Amino acid sequence: MSKNIAVKVDDLTVAYNYKPVLWDIDLEIPEGVLMAIVGPNGAGKSTLIKSILGILKPIAGSVEIFGMSYAKQRHLVAYVPQKGSVDWDFPTTALDVVMMGTYGSLGWIKRPGQKEKKEALEALEKVGMLAFKNRQISQLSGGQQQRIFLARALVQNASIYFMDEPFQGVDATTEIAIINILKELRKAGKTVIVVHHDLQTVPEYFDWVTFLNVKKIATGPVKDIFNDDNLTKTYGINYKVSIQE
Amino acid sequence: MSSAQFEIQLIASLVAIACAIPGTFLVLRKMAMISDAISHSILPGIVIGFFITQDLNSPLLILLAALTGILTVVLVEYIQKTGLVKEDTAIGLVFPILFSIGVILIAKNANDVHLDVDAVLLGELAFAPFDRLIISGVDVGPKSLWVIGIILIVTIGLLIAFFKELKVSTFDAGLAASLGFSPAVIHYGLMSVSSITTVGAFDAVGAILVVALMIAPAATAYLLTNNLKRMLLYAIGFGVFCAISGYWLAHGLDASIAGSITTMLGIVFLFVYLFAHNKGVIAVLYREKQQRTEVSLLTFLLHLKNHSEESERHVNHLNEHINWQKVRSKTILDLALKNNMIQFDKNIVSLTEKGEDFTTQAIDYIITNEDGKIEHMKDDFFLFRG
Repeated sequence: MSKNIAVKVDDLTVAYNYKPVLWDIDLEIPEGVLMAIVGPNGAGKSTLIKSILGILKPIAGSVEIFGMSYAKQRHLVAYVPQKGSVDWDFPTTALDVVMMGTYGSLGWIKRPGQKEKKEALEALEKVGMLAFKNRQISQLSGGQQQRIFLARALVQNASIYFMDEPFQGVDATTEIAIINILKELRKAGKTVIVVHHDLQTVPEYFDWVTFLNVKKIATGPVKDIFNDDNLTKTYGINYKVSIQE
Repeated sequence: MSSAQFEIQLIASLVAIACAIPGTFLVLRKMAMISDAISHSILPGIVIGFFITQDLNSPLLILLAALTGILTVVLVEYIQKTGLVKEDTAIGLVFPILFSIGVILIAKNANDVHLDVDAVLLGELAFAPFDRLIISGVDVGPKSLWVIGIILIVTIGLLIAFFKELKVSTFDAGLAASLGFSPAVIHYGLMSVSSITTVGAFDAVGAILVVALMIAPAATAYLLTNNLKRMLLYAIGFGVFCAISGYWLAHGLDASIAGSITTMLGIVFLFVYLFAHNKGVIAVLYREKQQRTEVSLLTFLLHLKNHSEESERHVNHLNEHINWQKVRSKTILDLALKNNMIQFDKNIVSLTEKGEDFTTQAIDYIITNEDGKIEHMKDDFFLFRG
């Protein structure tokens, strides 16, 4: 594994209405890991991602992407928000949503053309959704919508991928399809950071993990730190997880 | 048709187009009420602008009114952010206060000039052709035609330039922010355009018609299409249609033009709401009825598939076994027969090969919920269209 630090978070504190939801987070995510962020509801998992991406403004602390500010490294980062964060009745097609992934590299005013369309079609094919390219997005199942979001991130051709609960409300087939794509991304040297809820699958899916509950509890390789001690510290109850080897 | 009549229809149509464009995005952002708020709360801006310039068509007046429009949005968001009240409450708090400040300012200082609350709210399209713009002695047309024309050109220019940004920030503000398209910039840009359009149109058509022209055509278009560009075009089409037909309705009834245009907007929406191809009430009822029939058909086919004994499949006993009314059984039987899914052999019903295949596939789909395999069935059966 490369020793480069992909994401470096320093003393990050974020508050909603002056009530801190993230306290003094220090975090270093090495390049090339497939990392889960776990923690109870309200632990600030989504908030952490959104602050790294500059969607939320922290009240203290800083974030570096490969040693520079997010604003300078935007092109290296792709983001998959929670599926429930958008209105799926919006009048548009699957292909068009995927094309939105290309908007970042286009910048203001310039419009997507044939090249962008070709990239979007390739991404749709990768997630097995090419047949649905002209389908209105409200006519897609929950799992298909999540695949569309994934394709949109793939099109950004980033180095770091942030995903907010990509497995929420999808069936087992889609979950496997998604995790396979994430593993492929890691194989290609990309860094993938996933807000995750299902503790049982952490050892199977991920090689790196961060425990979060308002404060950072622990971060490191799954095989070293994914244990009952850290789970108990994070979830506050005596947590037992059977780790399959 | 006199030139005044033509000018009135032209102004109304241009206002309709200028309103439909920001209106489409307001509807998609679930911010229809904010246009109502803006249309009322620009009043103090107009009044103050009028005190300074003494001219109802001055650009400064439009600028000040637009600023009050933005102020409305900022105040609404600020109150909402306290977390003490919801957005609709915040809107209800802000615009009546700003509006009444305007009312008091007029009552105290401008009672004797042509600026009254009625004019702001209702406008008077019929008078628009009398207020001419004269450049070095040459009459170049009604002033409001120029005002709204310029606003419309700017609006169309901004729409074409920032269509992609508007789309992505409306659909997914989080993605827009992470891509570097500040949702706040786009949000306030849209609010500015909405405010300026409202101000530019109020003198001719009044604030109420502006709200109607922003929301109703977009809401109507939304029922008809799943494509944003088409939604914009349809909204423009409905707006212009209602502007012109409303004018002639007013002409026939000798009634208020703004009132008639708004009435037409209501009628057109109702018509589309009932008859829209996909989302209309009648289409939905029809689809539900079809689905019921298809579920019955499937139940019937499944019964045949599961029971090999002849007593269960005799034509005269089907009613008892599936427990249906006679009429319904007949409909279903005919439907199955028409689709070559069943065959008769001395009053004993059995599945044909096609019927077998269909039943297997349908059951497979219902169990696995895997979409790919039944794509070809979606054209014939509502049941599988999700």
